[in-house]
Amino acid sequence: MNITCNDRERIFLDGTPEEWAALEAHASNCSTCREELAAGKNLSVAASELHEEWDSPSLWPRIERALAEQSASAKTSWWERLLGSWNLTSLEWQTATAALLLVLLTGTAVWIASHRSAGDPFAGSLLKDPAVRNVEKAEAAYEEAIDKLDAQARPQLDKASTPLMTSYREKLQVLDSAIADLKSQAGINPANGHLRRQLLAMYHEKQETLEEFLEAKQ
Amino acid sequence: MGTMGLALPWEARISHAGAQRGRVDPAETTSEVSRAATQVSSDDSALAAACQAGDLRAFERLYQLHGSRMKSMARNLLGTTSDAEDAVQDTFLKIQRSIATFRGQSSFATWSFRILINTCYDLRRSRMRKKEVSQHEPQAPEAAPRLEPRAPAAHPSLKLALERAVGQLTRQQREVFLMYEVEGMRHSEIAGVLEISETASKNTLFQAKKNLRQVLEAPRSSAAEAR
Repeated sequence: MNITCNDRERIFLDGTPEEWAALEAHASNCSTCREELAAGKNLSVAASELHEEWDSPSLWPRIERALAEQSASAKTSWWERLLGSWNLTSLEWQTATAALLLVLLTGTAVWIASHRSAGDPFAGSLLKDPAVRNVEKAEAAYEEAIDKLDAQARPQLDKASTPLMTSYREKLQVLDSAIADLKSQAGINPANGHLRRQLLAMYHEKQETLEEFLEAKQ
Repeated sequence: MGTMGLALPWEARISHAGAQRGRVDPAETTSEVSRAATQVSSDDSALAAACQAGDLRAFERLYQLHGSRMKSMARNLLGTTSDAEDAVQDTFLKIQRSIATFRGQSSFATWSFRILINTCYDLRRSRMRKKEVSQHEPQAPEAAPRLEPRAPAAHPSLKLALERAVGQLTRQQREVFLMYEVEGMRHSEIAGVLEISETASKNTLFQAKKNLRQVLEAPRSSAAEAR
């Protein structure tokens, strides 16, 4: 193998055993390469002396003890590590737990409300907006018709002279008072179907009373 | 570039530096290297498996196989034998803690050395922080360690100069130089420990040696010029 001074650095960097042998052969006739080879190898020799070995009889027993302790603590706290891996103290977990509680409470409240309303006599008594409008419209027409009937009977009622006529008048006064009271409550809570039914019953009672009064009068 | 002022029979010492501490001699045949590598790989895997199973005797075996080299490497990175021993102990504890994450992508020994080197730098930073707190004087984190006196050797002044010069290298140059030239590791092993390519390891070693020679020869050049 033919080696020149120009090959020296390349061989220093990554030379094959054959190239190293060829360089050493070349160095026997080249003072520059001889010096470079010697310097490099002397550096390696000096470096090898930096390797230091010393007895440390207590080191392995110390390491062994520490390993055993670490191993024991790892075994006893496996469940802590399991919980730790879930990191229950994190904000995300706290938020998730709060959300879960909220969902559970809401679900429970809805369930209780739905089951309570099933046994409630007033269930379904809350009328929706269009139903309220229809009821009020019918009521108005019904009230108007009864008012016409009342207008026919009113002169005779005011001049009632018999106990029967007086009884009719007093009954109609009570019914009017009840109707006024129920209309007042229905004004406050127009969607309350129960009030509407009571009001209807009062109107119906007034209608029958007026009809009976007019029939009795005839 | 001149030679260093050493009158050592280097031909005899090179084999000591390499083969005596485990580096495969380039003259070995390919088949011998292959057989040896297969055996080493098998032992290494068995050792890793035993350590993963929590067998403390396996850790002891690892210590017997690599403890000396680990201590020496740590000694050269940290400067004192007591710090080196602390680093080796911490390394074994870290190996035990993270053995479950070892997937065999590198050899177990290589993986262990990687942990050792990182532990040495962690320990060095920790020592420096303590020193800073006590002295209220900031120091460079990558500064060379202050080495404690070694046992008298054939060339104590050169060794001391070399130790100081090694401390002036970059971190990677220092690690590659120490692993290759001081601990006798192969470039393939160094590449595995430092997670670099073998070519990068060779280039780094070449540059490290060049820098060391410049540092070590500077006083001689100055003295020659003065004469």
